[in-house]
Amino acid sequence: MQPRKRIFFVCVVLMAISLTALNVADAGIVKDSLGRTVHLPPDPQRIVAFAPSITEIIFALEQQQRLKGVTIYSDYPEAAKSLPRVGSYVRLDLERIVALRPDLCIATKDGNPKALIERLESMDIPVFVTDPRNLESVMQTIGDLGAILHATDRANALVGNMRLRIQQIKSLIAESNDKPRVFFQIGITPIVSVGTDTFIHELIVYAGGINLGEGKASYPRFSREQVLGLKPDVFIISSMARGVAFDKVRKEWYRWPHLPAVRNNRIFLVDSDLFNRPTPRLVDSLETLAKLIHPEIFEEIR
Amino acid sequence: MIAEKTTILKRILTISIGMLLVLIAAAVLGISVGSAGGGFETVIRSIFGKTVVDSSLEDIIWRIRMPRVVLAALVGAALSSGGLVFQALLRNPLAEPYILGISGGAAIGAISGILIGLSQFPGVSVSSFIGSMMTLALLLMISSGRTILRKESLLLSGVMVNAFCSAVIMFLISMTQDARIHNIIFWLMGDLSLAGFKQVILLAAIVIPGIAVIFWLSHVMNLLLLGQETAKSLGVNLKVVTVILLGTTSLMVSATVSQCGLLGFVGLVIPHLLRFVVGPDHRVLVPACVLGGGAYMIVCDVLARTLPRQGEMPAGVITAIIGAPLFIFLLKKSVR
Amino acid sequence: MKSAVNANQLNFTYETEPVLRDVSFAVPRSNFFIIIGPNGSGKTTLIKAIAGTLKARSGQLHILGKPIQNFSHRTLAKHIALVPQMVPLEFPFRVSEFVLMGRAPHLGILGLEQAGDIEIARQAMTFTGIEHLAGRQMYRLSGGERQCVLIARAICQEPQIILLDEPTASLDLAHQVQVMDLMEKFKEEKGVTIIMVSHDINLAAIYGDQLLLLKEGQIVKLGRPDEVLSFQNLEHAYGCKLLVDKSPLGESPRVTLVPRKFLKLRANMEPSMIPTSVKKKPPTGPDH
Repeated sequence: MQPRKRIFFVCVVLMAISLTALNVADAGIVKDSLGRTVHLPPDPQRIVAFAPSITEIIFALEQQQRLKGVTIYSDYPEAAKSLPRVGSYVRLDLERIVALRPDLCIATKDGNPKALIERLESMDIPVFVTDPRNLESVMQTIGDLGAILHATDRANALVGNMRLRIQQIKSLIAESNDKPRVFFQIGITPIVSVGTDTFIHELIVYAGGINLGEGKASYPRFSREQVLGLKPDVFIISSMARGVAFDKVRKEWYRWPHLPAVRNNRIFLVDSDLFNRPTPRLVDSLETLAKLIHPEIFEEIR
Repeated sequence: MIAEKTTILKRILTISIGMLLVLIAAAVLGISVGSAGGGFETVIRSIFGKTVVDSSLEDIIWRIRMPRVVLAALVGAALSSGGLVFQALLRNPLAEPYILGISGGAAIGAISGILIGLSQFPGVSVSSFIGSMMTLALLLMISSGRTILRKESLLLSGVMVNAFCSAVIMFLISMTQDARIHNIIFWLMGDLSLAGFKQVILLAAIVIPGIAVIFWLSHVMNLLLLGQETAKSLGVNLKVVTVILLGTTSLMVSATVSQCGLLGFVGLVIPHLLRFVVGPDHRVLVPACVLGGGAYMIVCDVLARTLPRQGEMPAGVITAIIGAPLFIFLLKKSVR
Repeated sequence: MKSAVNANQLNFTYETEPVLRDVSFAVPRSNFFIIIGPNGSGKTTLIKAIAGTLKARSGQLHILGKPIQNFSHRTLAKHIALVPQMVPLEFPFRVSEFVLMGRAPHLGILGLEQAGDIEIARQAMTFTGIEHLAGRQMYRLSGGERQCVLIARAICQEPQIILLDEPTASLDLAHQVQVMDLMEKFKEEKGVTIIMVSHDINLAAIYGDQLLLLKEGQIVKLGRPDEVLSFQNLEHAYGCKLLVDKSPLGESPRVTLVPRKFLKLRANMEPSMIPTSVKKKPPTGPDH
């Protein structure tokens, strides 16, 4: 190569190296789960979380001091209830968000409107979009957020703990051949269950049961007849409204005494929040489910 | 006496200036009020270039509220003048911009876009616009040729197209079981919150020329009210005028609906209200509807943003809640 | 001098039904031309064809010497004004606004009227005697007043030909005469050609310079009232027997309906032998 060209080539390579080094050192430019390029601030101090699950994760990472705004239903842990609200996660309030002068917003792919995210970007407010669809990606999200919030140690500890408990349950389940048929009911009228593409399905499978609602539709509707035909061994009812509604639903199923679930008295109510949110508490839910589905194995577990 | 002291030109100017002041007042209200706090003082200081205490508020005012206010004004202007044109074309005081099925087609297009997973801009807007143009084409096919000039056939075809679209919409909604149903419902109820500067400019590029065309034809609209035969005998080229008015208005309304969803009652109530105030002469009514409709929409949007304790209502809910009783009130007043 | 309207072999079909068949006639200028005939004879269709609001299937139609196709809508409106039978009332226009709309073919691009237009409208309203109604809303007028408003609007077009479609149909007697007198005055003062469709044969006989009698889309007779209004022509056109004599007011013929009881005749008297001008009334009792 001619000398001039060689020098040029070397300069280009040096520039490329220095730029990438800058990027890495900056922790500045990353790709989020949507594949978008996000310019992160090196040390975010004013974060707005666009979903209750994100709020939970940030608290779990013990980085809540960076959190300045959350959505309406962010109610866990207790301290989250006193943070300023920026609307609900389907209907975010642009003004309130901007008024908090955030240096980073963390969103979820499902639910948060794309148009809003684009508006924020056009106002030079970076938005990092996560996409926790199952247990594995929840742990990935925890790891990502740990990196962004300089809480890698805590993130690793959390994820490690989660993996351990999941491992434990899986191995205990493997010892049993019995796979109870589980009907997980999230809607009362109409009767709605959960399909394959939900957190709950994965939890049921890991907990050693068969999800009777599995299939392409995420929230399939069933008629009472169809449910009776499926002969569930276990009913798990997850509902926002507790107490009164649950009793009614349980009484309704008790009218069909030939159902295995009724014969063996296996109709249970669980807290929907624990099952809907992609947070570390999903592992708690997994343990609960395992206990309900395989009581004979999990007597000792908390 | 017929020798009115104020000539028609003076009347147009007076009413227009009056309405413009109303519009400006509404706009100031619109940018002063919001969920981030009241900023009337900030607005004034900002306009006059003085330093402002809370700079993030200033940012909010000009980069969030201002485009939204402009959008509301454009939407209100487009829907009101659109409703006015349909009332003249169809010689029916109950006509409104959605009567020919444009809304049904736009909704189907938007819902389809949302279900496929397109983003709001440009994806859903474009699919919505295509949907409305397709229903317009369908309508023209049904009431084809010479019968397009027969207003009964146009009206009837529009009702049928709307009914069909409603059925399709219900079907699509019943098939949707996930979070997208939120997006669909908010779209159907009318939503001014998502549009940024680009969308506003795009809408302005369609609406403003449309309004100019309508104003140019406002005297002709007076003549249309006399009946088709009479209008022809007074020199109106009925076919050309009908096509221009129908085309322009459909374009404007489609563009509006595809950006912001279905905002009802505006196109029905504002022409009536203003006709009550300034009379039936379209040369005065068109500017009044444009400016007054814009102001009305801004106010409705302000209410949509500020009434609920948390978050905001869809603007379409407000226009219906105000519009329906207002319309009934106007009907009773005008009963002779 | 070229005629105001010249029709040659006009044919008009409504869907498949022929409504006008080979109609040919000429209307001289400043003529009071009245078209009569039973329902369905094509009178209204003919008037609309002349007004340009309907297009004939075949034939030629010349307005003031030029073929009607050569006129743009606007230019035609400057020469011909149409007074319809009814006016739609859904929108609350005032009389003055309504009359001013007659200036439409002469107005500029935005349709803004000037002082001159307002003056013309004022004169039109004075001519028709309704200037005191200027500020009133249209729906608060009586039928006769409304008709005068429609005429005033037509006058504002400054036409050379004015077409009226059964203007006296729903008016009471006083207004009927008033409207016909107005038209006559307009004709005499401005030389305007009046072409009117009328269902009232006697009014046509009194006021008309020329009558055109139609039946089922064809011309039965065209000419002066005394030429057109003969027993044979009328029976042929209307399908019933009508008595024709001279009006007590002057030279016009007078047509009287004949109830059935007067049709019983003496054995040797055929209807065709009854002379067209009879000075005495027919017998009032049964035939003797």
